[in-house]
Amino acid sequence: MGSIGPVPANPYPWPYDGVADTARTALLCIDWQTDFCGPGGYVDAMGYDIGLTRAGLPATVRLLEHARALGMLVVHTREGHEPELSDLPANKRWRSARIGAEIGSAGPAGRILVRGEPGWEIVPEVAPLPGEVVVDKPGKGAFYATNLDLVLRTRGITHLILTGITTDVCVHTTMREANDRGYECLILADCTGATDKANHDAALHMVTMQGGVFGCVTTSDDVIAATAK
Amino acid sequence: MLTIATARPGPYAFDIATTALLVIDMQRDFLEPGGFGESLGNDVGQLRCTIAPLAALLADARAIGLSIIHTREGHLPDLSDCPPAKLRRGAPSRRIGDPGPNGRILIRGEYGHDIVDELRPLPGEPVIDKPGKGAFYATDLDALLAERGIRSLLVAGVTTEVCVHTTVREANDRGYECLVLADCVGSYFPEFQRVGLDMVAAQGGIFGWVADSAQVRAALPATPVLQPSS
Repeated sequence: MGSIGPVPANPYPWPYDGVADTARTALLCIDWQTDFCGPGGYVDAMGYDIGLTRAGLPATVRLLEHARALGMLVVHTREGHEPELSDLPANKRWRSARIGAEIGSAGPAGRILVRGEPGWEIVPEVAPLPGEVVVDKPGKGAFYATNLDLVLRTRGITHLILTGITTDVCVHTTMREANDRGYECLILADCTGATDKANHDAALHMVTMQGGVFGCVTTSDDVIAATAK
Repeated sequence: MLTIATARPGPYAFDIATTALLVIDMQRDFLEPGGFGESLGNDVGQLRCTIAPLAALLADARAIGLSIIHTREGHLPDLSDCPPAKLRRGAPSRRIGDPGPNGRILIRGEYGHDIVDELRPLPGEPVIDKPGKGAFYATDLDALLAERGIRSLLVAGVTTEVCVHTTVREANDRGYECLVLADCVGSYFPEFQRVGLDMVAAQGGIFGWVADSAQVRAALPATPVLQPSS
């Protein structure tokens, strides 16, 4: 075990309390799923450029190795619903149908966003290792209707480093939930991505305003460089 | 059902019996000249332009008996509900709990913590006190909405990209249909006002819908259709 920080970050050197103990810091890998960023997933099949959602993968792979070597808690999340769709709000289903990707319908990699389907799995580059925590979530936020808060508190986690997709939707929602719960958050610009680059940039900018209203922004290189074993 | 045909990204339909107007954090600390927000260097004029259209909408909503819920961000006087990371952020001497121009900053019970006079809650309108940006975390908002059978939320308040967005995201994950009222939400930063609204309506309305209050007021019935809630 070691420590991380102070990490050069915007708008303040992270964390607020000077140094994060790696035993109390978790790496969150949010929704790196085939349907969002993998070849043959539904985002790919709809004709979007998955280069944008995959942009943060190489840096995340490197950071994941770093975190595992340090013995840090790694938590993966997956957005998805029960096969019978009992946890799918009606408006979420309706909206997904409107854009031609109805949750639960047959997609290019199995039923779209249904637990257990190939497209719902995490892409191989950042796949969970046996023993790593995987949180299945029905919403954009990883805290709502999941055991994430319980898992983090049980492990004594107080600081979070966030990676994943998409920056403005699931990563931001989760960071906001975490911030309200008192976790000290750091989002990594090079380990996130969005289907719209402008939304990625705006979401990162929002974090930095008003003294760091949700936490801080930095890069994986800065985190790695600020680590002491 | 009523419909706002011109909402972004598409028509928004709602039943006034299962809809609430949610007014977020229209507090003196954020909106008044000389208050906490202005002391941090923000231009409160960017927020104050929301007061007039919101007051007009509130009047119409009250006239027909629509559910109205207010929220306030703030902490207990002993700061026992304020996470250390939140407390220690911000400029020294202008932090939560410090003395400000309108009492201790963001502390429940202080003058600055309360809602501006123009939008003062009426007796019987719930006021949710929240310790975070989101109105669902560590509050009874979800239970209160469920008890009233509310499924749709008309969302107003400040600031667009912080407390409004966090609350809309929480509401959306809980299955509520949110319409964000573009002229009744405000940000200190014009860029965030624009992208905050765009993000709500992006990807087929990933968090909800966006429309102006005039469109809602035009859709509301002219005469009371609901009894005031007991």
